[in-house]
Amino acid sequence: MTFNRRTLLAAVSAAAILGQPFAAAAADLPRNIRMVIGSTSTGGDTYQSASIVAEALSEKLDVNIKVDAVGAVNGLKALERDSRGTTIMLFHDFAYLAELYGGKGFVNPFEEFKVGATIATNPGNAYLVGANSPYQTMEDILTAAAEGERVRVAIQPGGVSEIGFSAMKNAAKVRAPGSEENIVAVNTGSQSDKNQAMWDGLADVINGSIQANEQFTQLDGDDQKAMRFVWITASPETLQQAPEAGMGQLTRDDMMDYASPETSVTLDGDQDFTFDKEFFLIYNKDMDEAMIEAIDQALAEIYQDGAIQEKQTAAFFTPNFRPTAEAAEHLEEKRETYKKVISEISG
Amino acid sequence: MDILAFISPLFVLLVIGGTLVGIIFGAIPGMTATMAVAVCLPVTYSLGLENGLALLLGLYVGGISGGLVPAILLGIPGTPSSITTTLDGYPMARAGHGEKALRIGICASLVGGLVSLLILDLFAPTLADFAIKFSYVEKFLIILFALSVMAALSSDLLLGIFSGFLGIFISLIGTYDVTKGGNGEWRLIPPGTSYWLESGFSLLPVLIGLFGLAAILDEAETGMKAGMSQKDVDIGKHERFSLSIFRGQWVNLIRSSCIGTFVGILPGVGGSAASILSYSNAKTFSRHPERFGKGEPAGVMASEAGNNGLTGGALVPLLSLGIPGDSTTALLIGAFTLQGIQVGPLFIGNNPVTWDAMIFAMLIANLAMFVLMYFAIRYFAMVVTIPKHILFPVILMMCVIGAYTINYGIMFDVWTLLIFGVFGWLMTKIRLEVAPFIIGFILGPSAEVYFVKTLESFGDLTVFFTKSWIAVLLWVLIALSVGGSAYLQTRKGKSAP
Amino acid sequence: MGNLTHVTINFDTSHLIFPTLIGCILGLLGLAIAIRDRRAIAASGAHWRDILGRMDKPRFFGTLALTIAYFSAMVPVGDIWPNTGMGFLLCSIPLVAGSGLLFMRERSLRKAVPLMIVAVAAPVLVWWLFTDLFFLTLP
Repeated sequence: MTFNRRTLLAAVSAAAILGQPFAAAAADLPRNIRMVIGSTSTGGDTYQSASIVAEALSEKLDVNIKVDAVGAVNGLKALERDSRGTTIMLFHDFAYLAELYGGKGFVNPFEEFKVGATIATNPGNAYLVGANSPYQTMEDILTAAAEGERVRVAIQPGGVSEIGFSAMKNAAKVRAPGSEENIVAVNTGSQSDKNQAMWDGLADVINGSIQANEQFTQLDGDDQKAMRFVWITASPETLQQAPEAGMGQLTRDDMMDYASPETSVTLDGDQDFTFDKEFFLIYNKDMDEAMIEAIDQALAEIYQDGAIQEKQTAAFFTPNFRPTAEAAEHLEEKRETYKKVISEISG
Repeated sequence: MDILAFISPLFVLLVIGGTLVGIIFGAIPGMTATMAVAVCLPVTYSLGLENGLALLLGLYVGGISGGLVPAILLGIPGTPSSITTTLDGYPMARAGHGEKALRIGICASLVGGLVSLLILDLFAPTLADFAIKFSYVEKFLIILFALSVMAALSSDLLLGIFSGFLGIFISLIGTYDVTKGGNGEWRLIPPGTSYWLESGFSLLPVLIGLFGLAAILDEAETGMKAGMSQKDVDIGKHERFSLSIFRGQWVNLIRSSCIGTFVGILPGVGGSAASILSYSNAKTFSRHPERFGKGEPAGVMASEAGNNGLTGGALVPLLSLGIPGDSTTALLIGAFTLQGIQVGPLFIGNNPVTWDAMIFAMLIANLAMFVLMYFAIRYFAMVVTIPKHILFPVILMMCVIGAYTINYGIMFDVWTLLIFGVFGWLMTKIRLEVAPFIIGFILGPSAEVYFVKTLESFGDLTVFFTKSWIAVLLWVLIALSVGGSAYLQTRKGKSAP
Repeated sequence: MGNLTHVTINFDTSHLIFPTLIGCILGLLGLAIAIRDRRAIAASGAHWRDILGRMDKPRFFGTLALTIAYFSAMVPVGDIWPNTGMGFLLCSIPLVAGSGLLFMRERSLRKAVPLMIVAVAAPVLVWWLFTDLFFLTLP
C-alpha cells in the first residue's frame, strides 16, 4: 500500500505543478476558458461563429478556449455556476426569445446574466413557399389572410424560427385586424421537418434559410421539391454587408428584393419588421468587469486587424462587432420590440 | 472521370488514418463515430475540402465499424448501433468463438459498406426523391417495426415487452424536445429533480451504464473469479475460418445492407434503428429464429451489415437534399459550410469532383477498415487476456470519459451512468430484460414525435393504415415480425416441460 | 365511423399524449405480470435474501462506494484547476488503483506492481489524449 500512496503523492504534486492556474498576461483572464454555446450541434451556425471567434480570441489573449456544444439549457446552467470567468457563453437571439415565448426554464438574460459583445450576424433567416404556390410575395400572403384564407406556416416554435411568424401575424393584424387568426403555425422541428411539411402538403409557407434552402429555389418548377423565397427577415443594412455574389444563384441584389423595404412586413404601419440573427457573448452576472473589458479590448483589436471579417464572410456571416455596453443596449432594445410584437398577437 | 484531380498520397493516407482513429473511437465503449468526426472537424479547415472529407469519411466508416469489437469481446456495445451485435456476438465469444464472431462481423461490415456505397453512387438523387414520400405516418410505422423486435428479443414475452415499454417510458422523461417538433414542456419529472432531469437521460450514458457498469457490478457481486475462465480466454484462436459460414447468408447480408442503407436515407429515423431493423428482419426470415440471441452468426452478420449500410445511406439525403441522415453526417454539413460549399439538391451536379472524391474516399475507407480490423483481430483478442482487476477499472474510467464528453461536458451524464449501471444490475435480478429495454429507450422519442405529429397533422387514426402503399407494406412486416415471435414463444412453451 | 377515429390534438398539451399512452400500456402489462407471477413476487423476500447471502459484499458494495466517491470528487477537484481536466486525472488514478486492488484476488506485490503502473499510465494517457490532442472538456 505504501507504493500506492507514494505514487499518488507523486502524481498529485506533478499535476499541481502542471495545472497551476496561471493567469493570462492580459488582465488576469483565466488561462483555460470554456466557451459553451446554446446549440448541441457542432455542425451548425452557432458552433461555427463560436469557433471562429474563439480561435481569434485565444490567439490574441494567449489563453486556451474550448468550444463546448452543450445546448441552451445546459449552457446557461454552466454559466450560472461559474462566476470566475472560466466559463463564458456564445449564443444568439434565442437567449431572450425563449423567455419571451414562455419557454420552460428560460429567464431574461438581461437580468440573470450579463449580455456582452456581439460578434456576427447570420443574415440567412428566410421564409419560402413551394414553387407552384399561388403566393408570389408576402403581400399576397397577407392579402390572402385578410380575405379569410388560411395560410399555414411551418416553424419550430419558441425561438428564432417563430419570431418571423409572429411578425407575419402582427402585420396581418395591423393591416386587417382579425386576419392574424388566418395565419396559423404548423409546429415542426428541424429544417428537414419543415421541408417535409411543405412536401407533404401540410404547410403553405415554411421557415428556412438562405444557406439551407437556396438550392431548392434553383430546381425546376415541376420538381416536387422546388421552392421560392418570399421573405428574408434580415435588415437591409445587414444584407448590404453580405458578399456581392450572394449564395448560389441568389445574388446580394436578389436578397435585397426579398427583404425590407422591397418586401415589407410591417411592424406598426410605418416601420418594417426586421430580424437579424445576431451572435453575442453572455457572461455570468458576477464575472469580473475587468475580464469583460479585456475580452472587449481583444475583440476590438481583432476586428481592427480585419482577418476575422474575411473568415466570417466566407462562412456567410456578416461581421458585426459591438463592445459590451453598446451590444447590451442594442439587444435589449431589440428584445423590447419583439416583446411588443409577441404581446400584440397573443393579447 | 478525373480521378487524378484529387487523389494524392495524402488523400489516401488521410482516409486510412481517419479510418484507424475511427476504429479506435468506435472500439472504446462510450466513444462514437459522431464524436470522432466532431473532434477532427476543426482540423479539416486547413486541409481543404477533398482532403478534409477524406479524413472525416474515414473516421465515419471506422467509427461505425469499431463498435463491434467491445460488443463481441466484452458484451459492451462500443456505439449504440452495435447493440444488436452484442446479442449474438457476445454469446459466441463466451462459447469460445470470439475470433470467428469478429471475422464474421468485419466481413459483414465490409459487405454492408460496399453495398450502401454502390447504392449511394448509383441512385442517390432518385432515392432521396423516394425518401421524401415518407411522411410522419410511414416514419412512425418504421419505428414501430423496429420496436417489434422487442418481442423477438424477449426470452419471456410478457416480461420482455414490459421491459421494452419501460424503456420507452423512461426515454420520455424530460422536455418534449422542440428541435424534434415538440412543445418544450416538461413531463414525467419527479418533483425536485428538474434541475437534472429537464433534458432527460442521454442515450449513451444509459447504454454504457446498462451494459458496461452493470457488467462490472455483476462481476463484483460474484467476486471477480480469478482471471477469466479458461473458456473465456480461449476465444477460438485456432479455429479455422472459411467463408463457407456465409453460405446461405447472402440474402441476409444483402437485405441487411439494403435495410441499413435505407434507414440511413430516411432523415430523422436515426442510426441505431438500422441495425435493429436488419436484425429483426434476419430473425423473422430465418429458418432458425430460435437460435438468435444465443450466438447465431447470422445475427452478427445482419447487425453489422446493417450499421455499415447506414454509412452510404446517410450521405444520400445529405448530398441530394442538404439534410443529414444521422448525427454524424450532420457534422459533415459543418465541414462543407466551413469551406463555403452549399449542400442541397444541386450539390452533386455542381461539385462533380467533390462527389467523386467522396465516393472514392468511402471506398478506400471501407477497404482500409476491413484490412486494418481483419489483421488486428489477434490484438483485439488480447483484451480478454488482461486480468479483470486491471481491465474493469480501466473500462470504468473509459465509460466516465465517454459519458462526460458525449454532450461536451455534462456531469449529470456521468451520474446517469451510475444510475443505469445499478438499474441494469437490478433488472437482471428481477428478470427484466436489458435488450428490449434499451431498444425501447432508443426508439421511444422518435416513436412519440411521429405518432403525435401524425395525429396532429391528419387528425385521424385511420391514416396509419390508409396513407400509402408503403404504410400497408410496413403493417404486413410488423405483423410478420410480431406473429413470428409469438409463434416461437408458444412453440418454446410447448417443448418446455 | 369517421367520428370514432377522429382526434384533435392540442399542441400545448401534446407532450402528455404519448407518456399517458405508454403509461397505460405499462400499467396493464404490469398487472398481467403481477397476476401471472404472483407466487414469485410473493417469494421475492427470499429471492433477495438469497442474492444477498451469496453476494461478495465487500467487492460489490466497495465498487459502488468507490464509484460514488469517484464521481463526487471529480468536479470539486476539477474546480481547483478549471478546464484542465485535472479533476478527471487526479480522481481516476486512485480509482483505478483502488478498484483494481479491490477486484484483485490473492493480493500480492507482484500483481500490484503492474496494476499501479496501469493506474498511473492509463489515466495520464487518456487525459493527455482527450484534453490536449482531441481538445475535449474533462471535469
